[in-house]
Amino acid sequence: MAAKLNVSESSESDSPNLSNLSACSRTGSRSLRVAEKERRKNGAEEPFVLALKYFSNVEAGTPVIGNDEFERNMVLVEQVAYFKGLSPEAISVMLEFAMSSRMGTNPCVRVLKCLIPTTMVPQEAVVRGVAWLGVGKIPISSQVLFIKWVLTIFDMIDAKDQLRAIYGFIFSFVTEESLCPFICHLLYLLTRKESDIEHKMYLLFPQGRQPFLSHLLSLYKVLCPELVTLSIPSRMRSGFRNHNSPWKSALIAVQKSNGSQTDSSTSLPLTIKEKTSLRKRKHKHLELPVLSSQVNKQPQTEPFTSRKVVPLAQLHSLSQLLENMHCIELPAQMGSLLGSSLALQYLDCVQDESALLRLNFWLGYALNEEFFFCGDGGGSQTSEEALQFLDKLLSSQQFLQEGFSSTEAFLYKFLSVWDGSLFRPQILSLLSNIPVVPNSQIGQLLFEPLMQLFFTSSLFFRCGLMECLNNMLLKWLTWHSVYALEDDLDISLNSHTSINMTLSGFKDSVMELIHFAGRLGSVGLQLEGCHSLLLSFILDFYETVCDTFLKYGLPLVVMPPPGVFYPALFAPDPVSVDRLVNIMYRYKVNLTSAKSKEKQAFHISRQTFREFNHYIVVMVNCLWNSKMFQPDMGIQLGEELLLKSNIPEYWASFDLVHHPAFLSYAVDFHQRVSADHLDGHDLCLHSKPWTWYLEFLNSQGYDGTGFSLFPSFKNNASYTEYGQHLCFISAMLQNGFQG
Amino acid sequence: MEQLSNSLARTPLNSVVVKRRSKTKSFRQSYRSCLGLTPALTARRLSKSRKAPKSHYITEKVNPEHLALLLKSEWKLSYVTPLYQFRHTQLKSYSRQLSAFIAAEKQQGFAVEVDGSQSNFRVSFSVVQGMTETEDDAETVLIQIHSKPLFAKQSEAQRSVWSGWLTCVNGNSDYLCSLPKDFICLPLFGSSGSEVLTTLVQSWFQKMFDCCFGPLEMNNTCLQWLAALWTNCHPESSIQHLKMIWTLPVVPPLQITYTVNPKDAWKLWSSVRKDPCEENKEEEGVSIDIEDVMRFMQGLKSHFYRHFRLDLSAGCLKQVSTALGSATFSGRVKISNSQYILSTLTLLTECALFKMPV
Repeated sequence: MAAKLNVSESSESDSPNLSNLSACSRTGSRSLRVAEKERRKNGAEEPFVLALKYFSNVEAGTPVIGNDEFERNMVLVEQVAYFKGLSPEAISVMLEFAMSSRMGTNPCVRVLKCLIPTTMVPQEAVVRGVAWLGVGKIPISSQVLFIKWVLTIFDMIDAKDQLRAIYGFIFSFVTEESLCPFICHLLYLLTRKESDIEHKMYLLFPQGRQPFLSHLLSLYKVLCPELVTLSIPSRMRSGFRNHNSPWKSALIAVQKSNGSQTDSSTSLPLTIKEKTSLRKRKHKHLELPVLSSQVNKQPQTEPFTSRKVVPLAQLHSLSQLLENMHCIELPAQMGSLLGSSLALQYLDCVQDESALLRLNFWLGYALNEEFFFCGDGGGSQTSEEALQFLDKLLSSQQFLQEGFSSTEAFLYKFLSVWDGSLFRPQILSLLSNIPVVPNSQIGQLLFEPLMQLFFTSSLFFRCGLMECLNNMLLKWLTWHSVYALEDDLDISLNSHTSINMTLSGFKDSVMELIHFAGRLGSVGLQLEGCHSLLLSFILDFYETVCDTFLKYGLPLVVMPPPGVFYPALFAPDPVSVDRLVNIMYRYKVNLTSAKSKEKQAFHISRQTFREFNHYIVVMVNCLWNSKMFQPDMGIQLGEELLLKSNIPEYWASFDLVHHPAFLSYAVDFHQRVSADHLDGHDLCLHSKPWTWYLEFLNSQGYDGTGFSLFPSFKNNASYTEYGQHLCFISAMLQNGFQG
Repeated sequence: MEQLSNSLARTPLNSVVVKRRSKTKSFRQSYRSCLGLTPALTARRLSKSRKAPKSHYITEKVNPEHLALLLKSEWKLSYVTPLYQFRHTQLKSYSRQLSAFIAAEKQQGFAVEVDGSQSNFRVSFSVVQGMTETEDDAETVLIQIHSKPLFAKQSEAQRSVWSGWLTCVNGNSDYLCSLPKDFICLPLFGSSGSEVLTTLVQSWFQKMFDCCFGPLEMNNTCLQWLAALWTNCHPESSIQHLKMIWTLPVVPPLQITYTVNPKDAWKLWSSVRKDPCEENKEEEGVSIDIEDVMRFMQGLKSHFYRHFRLDLSAGCLKQVSTALGSATFSGRVKISNSQYILSTLTLLTECALFKMPV
């Protein structure tokens, strides 16, 4: 049944592969696409299987030069190897082929180079390979390559018992000069206490004192201290050299593309020394230090020597933290706090100046090194690391509910070089955490770079930036509402680490920020053709702005610029219009409240009142009173021009009935009402339907436009007119149906 | 804002927060801004003008042994964030701890037993007195590591395998004073010896004093300053040659070694210098402006252009060397003449402070 369905689908969709019908019916309920995929895979696999067959069966002495078949098969194997790696069986076949030198020694190197395992390497293959070394047919360079390969894939060999069983055999190659370093490394990895060290030891001594030998010896000394009397220098160079193996990058690529996340298989057998040394030095700055207790104990000269201290690293729960609050010792490296919420909690409590500064030094260092000084940090791995680091930083800041000063300093520098897309969400979130910037510097540090970015970036950046500014404003206001209550109005600090800021200074900064966002919003809406997504973010911002006085206790009321107000008023979506009405309502409440307390609170400039009144008049006339384009309103168009437009009743074209955002609701409303009991004619006569309509809008969730916020307009004398407007709708609908 | 406390829109959350925080501490953290923290964004620039190096009688101030050591090798430079709770009085104990640390790190992965008491590494910390220029500068610290060579005989003496120093000469006093008392600012770190040991020493410092080390590259401006400062010393002690290495971003990359005869360099230098004010000269020493330096470099570049039709402005200055010292873009510096060591270190301290994150 399912198969049939699939067939018909495929013919409908004009699938090019009707030939796989049989495969399809065989797989039964599987969809065509899966089957198709499988078929392709099998198709690709088949020649590969044939190629492997060729290599396992090829006769000894077959010439290589001019052998097209060999060439074709070899290329195939190489492609598969570099693309997704070789299966264990394939590895066995190819290794056997290479080491047996059936086609001479030439292909050996080529084969070895493409031996990239997908998952694991069968031990037998490796043992056989080692056995071939003893035959002595292979040139020494290929032997070295083979051992290097074994070292590279050592962790991927499925078992090591057989390899250990031939420990002595492997050991015999120590005498081979060019093999010796690699053999030593391999032995180092294979050596167990049971390994028959005793006999080996004497062989090693005549070999000289190269570092690889002394390494092996040092291991022997650990296992059988009684045998090795030689004093092993503890100072050794960097252990076994990290053989620059040709497989490493291919191996990593293959494992990445196969999505194998197993760390053990990607980690190459490096000696411990190499792991700790400078392999990834460049990006080491992003590693969080380990949370460890202080090493640098101060000499206890005070009489409190017996005071017990508890290192932060030993605490594991909040209750433990609370119990030991009085005697907690900060960690040696403050950077380690970033990873632990418990430690952050403590940091938040103690407010230790030096501790914070230490944390900031480390953090700033890491950010600078990553984003400024690290010239070629490009790779994907780097950005992954950086991303994790930034996320961790962000979550710490969110936990503490404030930004770090080093992040701030970093951001000011970074904004001037930022392209606006690198880590956009993270950088914008960090930016929204910065503390209040003094009025005198805000333009240069913040606005200039942001303005440039805003004009040159995509819509998403613009929306993101508006959101960021909104969050920034929210944080500043919250900060003010918390602290202004404590100390009087004057927020001045005389600690040498902080700046002085008075209330008026703070107000100026907030005002600058709001004006800046207003400018960006106006221009942004123009550039984006009043994009409703951008408009929504801008309205978010003004929802914060309109409540600065009542919600956050900041005596400041700033009106939106016309470039924001009018696009919102004439927006084609009802949500934006409704939000604008809500915002205007909150402005009204704030202003009324401020005016009633004006003597004590603050002075609001007449300009603000004038702007507000003007907006209200426009809004009410436009939405409810159908009196657009009246001479005293802001929008003025020539009478003749309006007549020329041939729009009937142009003054009503943006009321709640005709407004493009609400027209559909008006239609909907009309249909419901007339379906119920009233015919269109009645609507025109009654004044009640208008109230019903508004209630209807209210019930649809538009409480702003639905009059519940501006109840005073209900008594507007002109609202009988609305009956006529609805009548117009009715007429229009009837015409529509007829036509 | 008492009068507002009864306003209807006050969210209850705020009052909770208010209770949680004590009054005195509240602003500290929340209103911490990097703008107030350090003169980070304004004051810390490379100076536009600096005094011409005076030939200090540094040999009288500084232990000649230390001085000889500083002049002996080429140093790889790094910048260091301020050291937390570093005490110049604790150097003995630091020596012990660092040698123990190195021994422990070296043993990692070998699991070879160490002969407990006797470590192969002997570390010594010492103060280099007299390297400071102002009161705010912390005294220079010299670190030396001695060890026996690999497979040495018992009788063989230990020899120095690594040395390094931390210094601050003429550091920006605004910056230094803005740091709390617990911090010692020694922003410039030079090391010479095996990189492994450098890493070990650095990680010990990081663990002990919660500081960070970053490589200190020397940008074009810094190298140009050095070229000018050294050339300026020519009458007193011959620079012998002024050698500059430029790389040009062409395919294949082009490296240009540009060597100038000392007399020519001096002539050019004197010609681009503004007339040094006579009255200043006696009291304060001659000051050199960045404009002088730029004119000097421009002169060198246009000379080169006249001969080879290659504009060096398009390239990047990678190395400057004279008989007084040499410096590379990658942050390797050799100072060969003790008389001008302080002025060179002043410039390098500025570069290092410039890199401070906060």
